[in-house]
Amino acid sequence: MDAIRRSLLGQLARLSAGAALVPFSSLANAGINQQPARREGDPTKRYGMLIDLRQCIGCQACTVSCHIENAAPLGQFRTTVSQYEVQHQESGELATFMLPRLCNHCENPPCVPVCPVEATYQQQDGIVVVDSDRCVGCAYCVNACPYDARFINERTQTADKCTFCSHRLEAGLLPACVESCVGGARIIGDMRDPNSQISRLINEHRDALMVLQPEKNTFPQVFYLGMDERFTTRPMAEPVALEVFDPHGQEMGYEFHH
Amino acid sequence: MNSTIELLAPRYDIAWYPWAVQYFFMIAVSYASLWLTAPALIFGKQAWLPTARLALIACISTTLVAPVALLADLHQPLRFWHFYAYANTHSWMSIGSVVLPLYLISILGLAWLAWRPALQAQRNTAGIGGFIAKWLSMGSGSTPRALVAVVCLAALLLSSGIMFYTGAELAIVKARPLWNTIWLPPMLVATGFIAAAGLLLVLNRVSGLCSQTAIRQMLYVLLVACGVAGLIAFSWFLDGINAHVGSVAAALESVRYSPSWRNTALWGGITGIGLFAAVIVLLTRSPKRQPTLFAWAWLLGLVAIHMGWMFRWVVLMDVQHVARNSAGFHHYGIPAGSSGILGIVGTFGLWLAAILLIELFIPWRQAQQGGVSTPTPLDANASSDSLAATSDSLNAKQGAPNHG
Repeated sequence: MDAIRRSLLGQLARLSAGAALVPFSSLANAGINQQPARREGDPTKRYGMLIDLRQCIGCQACTVSCHIENAAPLGQFRTTVSQYEVQHQESGELATFMLPRLCNHCENPPCVPVCPVEATYQQQDGIVVVDSDRCVGCAYCVNACPYDARFINERTQTADKCTFCSHRLEAGLLPACVESCVGGARIIGDMRDPNSQISRLINEHRDALMVLQPEKNTFPQVFYLGMDERFTTRPMAEPVALEVFDPHGQEMGYEFHH
Repeated sequence: MNSTIELLAPRYDIAWYPWAVQYFFMIAVSYASLWLTAPALIFGKQAWLPTARLALIACISTTLVAPVALLADLHQPLRFWHFYAYANTHSWMSIGSVVLPLYLISILGLAWLAWRPALQAQRNTAGIGGFIAKWLSMGSGSTPRALVAVVCLAALLLSSGIMFYTGAELAIVKARPLWNTIWLPPMLVATGFIAAAGLLLVLNRVSGLCSQTAIRQMLYVLLVACGVAGLIAFSWFLDGINAHVGSVAAALESVRYSPSWRNTALWGGITGIGLFAAVIVLLTRSPKRQPTLFAWAWLLGLVAIHMGWMFRWVVLMDVQHVARNSAGFHHYGIPAGSSGILGIVGTFGLWLAAILLIELFIPWRQAQQGGVSTPTPLDANASSDSLAATSDSLNAKQGAPNHG
């Protein structure tokens, strides 16, 4: 179907019944689904992270150290590094692309307004956290996060996610993933402080920085340097083989459930 | 374009379990059947009395079971009181937690008012049936029809709240492009009406009520609901066909890359069109042949229930398998335990128990939907519709088992 006819059909549909539904849509999105007030945390700070992909070798030290620091159940991750094998169509040359993922501590976090009990909230320093004593485990936030950054912790049966290791930041320590990164690819800091390393790097590389799924208007605060634009959205890739069986028919790897 | 293989990605579990499908299905059947009681309960249309009787038991049984399924979907069900202690007006789910109990109360009130005259008539029968009727009917005072109409109106208003919040809850989720469309909430309502009309056809058959009027009315409801659902699906498709992002683009991508999504799309399309065609065939036969054909309408009812339920399964479960940040589709096998098959079977079992309890203790076949305490005799100037309805109800009375 040619583009003109497509757009004409689209216009027709919008002009007809769709018009009646538009006010409901704006009410559903704007009136009710707005961000609640931020609370707790240091209002003079705004934490963010910059990940220099040129320094990442995909060693998963961040994945492991986060796992140990935050005692996540096996098979559930607050941070992980996705790895892709990319083959050049013409030359056949192979390359590996590494993409560390974690909560983006968005400026407009879609997981926060959906929480029916305000158990998940954004601190004034921008960090999005979960009060696991209040969380009812409805998993609405897990579905609302476009980055797969949240999960229901099997042990606590409540929502779990990266907190930028706020307990370590409070004690003047770096998050476990930053501390353990062998290439120094992860840089965390206060973006309100113009002299912080992250502020200086953001100023220096402003035009080269990218965020994940910018079209979702979540305004992520984890910035990638050395990013390929094609990986900012869901990658068009052949998925990983999830079911690899050993000679006894048992699934190998990936399956951590008991 | 280079070719890419994803070497390493975690396996992401689904966040909402089949309990959510059960809740969305039960509550949709509940609000849709409530609307089907309205012609008799609000406007006093005698021709709609058999339908209203069936619709009311469908409505109250599903309304009682739906919140149980919803609670079960919480990973911390005992913390349900947090919904009220820490309500968040920014969350559609929180708004739902206020609307749902009010809706439940309005349905309980409506059923009590509608059944009260019939209960009062059964007060003096011996045995447990009479005891329960005496206890439930709360005195011998009359039940004003106006009160039934007012409570029904309030319930209809609250049911609109349920339609609105259940739809909006999904439609605002930008992270799931397949949900993030304005066309999803009306589609949930349309398929809800399809399922409710189907359930009434089945109940009409298994209860022995076998009202021809109810069958004809439900076939018309099916006709309209299928037509509306088709229109919504068509508009959704046209609305998004020229977009590179959004729900239609995501759906086309899923259908293109996943054989199981292709099968689902094909199955849904064929079932919908087949149901619509079968309803038209039944309604356009000659009046002579219709009674024989209408006897099999309950089979169409089963197909309609299947459609309403499968739509919710696809929307709530299958959409969660579409990877958001990694490549391809997540694998999901329905577990046998309470977060899977046991949950699905358990919810239907609970619903069956609810409807059997009503069948045992409530004389719903005699219900006049409010009014005086004894069934009204035929009006001198009653229309042919009301004649048919009353003869239906007379037959039903003869066929009703005696529980007293």
